[in-house]
Amino acid sequence: MIKKIIIRIFGIVVVIAILNLIYNFTLYKKDLNEKCEEVQEIKKEQNNTDIFYFAESSNFSTQPSDSIQNSISEITNLFFPSLKITAINKAATHAGIYKHWITQVNVKEHKPKAIVVTLNLRSFDATWINSKLETPLQESVVLLKPYPNIINRFLLSLNAFDNKTEQQRDQDMIKEWETTRLKFPFKSAHKTVREWDYEMAQGTYIKPDGSWDTEKITLACHYVKTYAFNIEDENPRIKDFDFIAGWCHKNNVNLYLNLLAENMEYADSLVGKELVFLMKQNRDYLVKRYNRNNCRVVDNLELVKGKEFTDQSWTTEHYSYKGRMIIARNLAKALSTQFNNKYKTAF
Amino acid sequence: MLFNSLHFLIFLPIVVGLYYLLPFRFRWILIFIASCYFYMVFVPKYILILFLIILIDYVSALTIEKLNGKLRLFYLIGSLTANIALLAFFKYFNFFNDNLVTVFNLFGREFDPVNLNIILPIGLSFHTFQSMSYTIEVYRGRQKAERHLGYFANYVLFFPQMVAGPIERYDTLGNELKQDHKPKYENFSNGFRMILFGLFVKMVVADNIAPYVNLVYTDPLKYNSGEVILAVVLFSFQIYADFFGYSTIALGSARLLGIKIMDNFNTPYLSKSITEFWTRWHISLSSWFRDYLYIPLGGNRVKLPRWCINILIVFMISGLWHGASWTFVVWGALHGLMILLERFTSKVFGINITKEWNILNIMLTLKTFIVTSFIWIFFRAETFDKAKNIIKAMVRNWHVPAMPEQINYAVIFSCVIIIIDILVYNSRFDKRLGAVKAPARWAMYALFIFCLMAMAGTQKFTFIYFQF
Repeated sequence: MIKKIIIRIFGIVVVIAILNLIYNFTLYKKDLNEKCEEVQEIKKEQNNTDIFYFAESSNFSTQPSDSIQNSISEITNLFFPSLKITAINKAATHAGIYKHWITQVNVKEHKPKAIVVTLNLRSFDATWINSKLETPLQESVVLLKPYPNIINRFLLSLNAFDNKTEQQRDQDMIKEWETTRLKFPFKSAHKTVREWDYEMAQGTYIKPDGSWDTEKITLACHYVKTYAFNIEDENPRIKDFDFIAGWCHKNNVNLYLNLLAENMEYADSLVGKELVFLMKQNRDYLVKRYNRNNCRVVDNLELVKGKEFTDQSWTTEHYSYKGRMIIARNLAKALSTQFNNKYKTAF
Repeated sequence: MLFNSLHFLIFLPIVVGLYYLLPFRFRWILIFIASCYFYMVFVPKYILILFLIILIDYVSALTIEKLNGKLRLFYLIGSLTANIALLAFFKYFNFFNDNLVTVFNLFGREFDPVNLNIILPIGLSFHTFQSMSYTIEVYRGRQKAERHLGYFANYVLFFPQMVAGPIERYDTLGNELKQDHKPKYENFSNGFRMILFGLFVKMVVADNIAPYVNLVYTDPLKYNSGEVILAVVLFSFQIYADFFGYSTIALGSARLLGIKIMDNFNTPYLSKSITEFWTRWHISLSSWFRDYLYIPLGGNRVKLPRWCINILIVFMISGLWHGASWTFVVWGALHGLMILLERFTSKVFGINITKEWNILNIMLTLKTFIVTSFIWIFFRAETFDKAKNIIKAMVRNWHVPAMPEQINYAVIFSCVIIIIDILVYNSRFDKRLGAVKAPARWAMYALFIFCLMAMAGTQKFTFIYFQF
């Protein structure tokens, strides 16, 4: 009987292998387009692309009143008119998603000269890691996992990916705020995000009439919850970016970590020096860790002034034209070390 | 744990492997642990409710068996009350309070009840009914009380059928669990076929229909008549595929362990009447209500008016069993009314339903399907207002439904399921497939595996009957 069963199992494996081929030729493209159109974009553009620019919503203008609507990647491209920079964007993406996109670049067919990966500090924190947007993002990359395509499709319908519910993610996030101790090289009253947030919420800002300035308090609390953390080696996003850096190193593709600007002015004025210290410390960690081999960190953290952020009452990396221009220029400057002869002073 | 999860596809082979590796005397421990684990993946603490049910009915049955006279009845009532109280507390507490508020308001009084904010333990209605059938049978003297607490616990907890049935009787499942099942190739192949087919029916048919049905039922007035009618018809297939798929996977999983559990469906949409429908749909629940409610009420050995009332009582309670809402009661009542109507019309018009297929029977089958589809509206709509909107939307703004690709899949797979039902009429898919020659059988496997792996729905839908 065991022999009979083993033969049947082998038969099923063969059948699945054949079905995988059929799937690849029939429904795979349609499914990929439905779940992860960015990959189709990569495949379509790869042969005439010099630089891939992977980014989230920071790339675009979110302010219709902006006189110039060009994205950061488009502005950067103006500095290198003879190169083609192709932007692949999706809102709320992070290193954990980019690492799947990057493996879709067929280096044997046409190797890009460089890859720019845009990241912001927030994508390393508990709020973003446990964001409700994470489930659809994870769903979008199931078809890109390193298994046969038909197996990936089956995993997708079994919901075999990180598909926690919103409540589960909220619980994880709160647990992180409550239990992870903040590390400062000096004495600080703030032990955890939860405690710091609670302190901020106790009437830190008072209006002239004596009532609490709840709008300001809410924003200050949000800054604490967003930026009060220490990036460490165990951070899942670090592991994800390690993979990206490793892939680029292995395939000899230059990598640029475009670390976005955060609203440091507001962080300072609303919360204070300790929060700014943590933000800078996290930036320094990334610079130290990734400024080696063929990877370079483009540090924009403190470059954009508070008023150039489109969202004045929340923490986002959406910039006015001037803000996008500053980041594009800084990135172009970094790229110019590699593409010195193609660099034109556009502005 | 969901059957349509990677977790289960890993869990099941491990349990099956260990089951046959273990000596017979330890197997009940494995089944017990596996079943507890299976259940605890949902909400771990709710396993305590199941333990309570098990303890109450285990002790009650032993006591009933020992005693004579009226005390036996006292213990039976005690056991049944405890089971129903648990069910009432978790499932009907808020429903009862809401109705109390309505009654108070009717008399111009205020009533502010405490509402429970708890999740209904998955499959509670199934466990309590299964466990209650055991104590009733012991009381009736048809079943010996089980001495081994572990075996009795496994009867209530047996993971393939614990959360959505079939509702088994102790003389079948209880005895099956006590057998020393040897590994047999036939059981493996049948079990595999059933699981494959069950997954196909749930993940490919039901889950491809669900998004469209959900969309239309959320705001029916946005859609034209054709689209709403299509959604109503498709829901009939969705709920069938969903529940039938679950039951088939349950049968297949049990079969891998050598354990036979009852069929819960027998091509229900090929019924020629609502009466016949209820002998083919959710058979284990229908037979439970027949044995423990309909017959004790007098069955059909009573005068016509009383019989009519009995039928309505049974179907309304059956509706309430499904969910704590008046829409379910109306769903049950409509089925009851249709059965009464069928009895009168068959007498008046002298309709004699025969077994062979002819034009009349095909028309009757179609009529039964249309009627059940219409009645499903009250099952699917959360409120009467929503049900009203669905019915309203069905009869206004006449248009043929647009057919985007997503609906194409739903319609095609609904047709597939009905064709399969016609082909396996009064039989079961795995039996028919087992009898087919190897090349054709393997071609069918390949087809089902392809549909399952490449065309299953990608949104997450739990089994509809889990909520009951």
